[in-house]
Amino acid sequence: MIDQPAPPVRGHARAPGSGGSIRTVTSETFGPLVLAGEGPIVVEFMSYGCAHCRVIEPILQQVAESVKREETAFRVNIAVDPELAAAYEIQGTPTLIMFLNGSVIGRAEGPSPTVPNLLAIITQPFA
Amino acid sequence: MLDSTTPPTPILLYDDQCGVCRGIARWVHRAAQAKTGERTIIERPIGSDPDALRALNPALDIWEAYATIHVLMPNGSMKLGGEAVAEVLRRVRSTRWFAWCFAIRIFGLRPFQAVLDLAYAILADIRPLFGCESCGSPSRPVRATRWVIRSVRAVLGKPHHPRPTKNFSRHAVAAAVK
Repeated sequence: MIDQPAPPVRGHARAPGSGGSIRTVTSETFGPLVLAGEGPIVVEFMSYGCAHCRVIEPILQQVAESVKREETAFRVNIAVDPELAAAYEIQGTPTLIMFLNGSVIGRAEGPSPTVPNLLAIITQPFA
Repeated sequence: MLDSTTPPTPILLYDDQCGVCRGIARWVHRAAQAKTGERTIIERPIGSDPDALRALNPALDIWEAYATIHVLMPNGSMKLGGEAVAEVLRRVRSTRWFAWCFAIRIFGLRPFQAVLDLAYAILADIRPLFGCESCGSPSRPVRATRWVIRSVRAVLGKPHHPRPTKNFSRHAVAAAVK
């Protein structure tokens, strides 16, 4: 047998854009959803071609799911929205920026991909 | 499974940020042409739009596409890793003559395909050695090899400048602003 049916998608629960705990924002929706958003907001600046983003993705999804009552998580694909990356002086990916009432109150570049570490990074600035 | 816009030709998805992958895609572009001039396989960068990939095949995940070589078949199936490489070799005129061997079964096993799977796994593992930041973290043997190479370069007066943190990629930003 040469042809095989498509295998089930492994690893990541859902691809961005179709659901999950992290929604994708673009330069058009960044203002209303992040800058004008209510409550604590974490934004991941990422790229699909970034291996570190690939590693952190399922863990970040898990953490975002666990804090979704208190915090909202978004993602910015810097390959699609480089102007947002420039505006927030993104030097590499993944970079997490924490917003509260439109202001930046925390930032983490290349966080270690573990649940306790990510949980601390995205909750401590709001404590 | 495929929509009406999908061409009836297999599509090789490749990582445009990986030099090794770009080189293979260029070779496929040159070589995958039938005598009639029709393309026998199309190469396409994975890109950064997960929805565009799902339009090609609903089961296609962009993270998986970057992790492993994929060939999307016209019948809606996907081939991954060594199977995908075998499919490419079957579609290219210059390699078709030996690619038939990957389908040979001996006592239910496909020994030549197993060798190809292993070769692909090794190649995928050493891609980071060629400076590919989108290829994932190298395994221990590869890290050891890289350490030796860097040490030799340092001895030769070419110091290595490490990245500020190990979980951080500047490459993606450079690619985004290109």
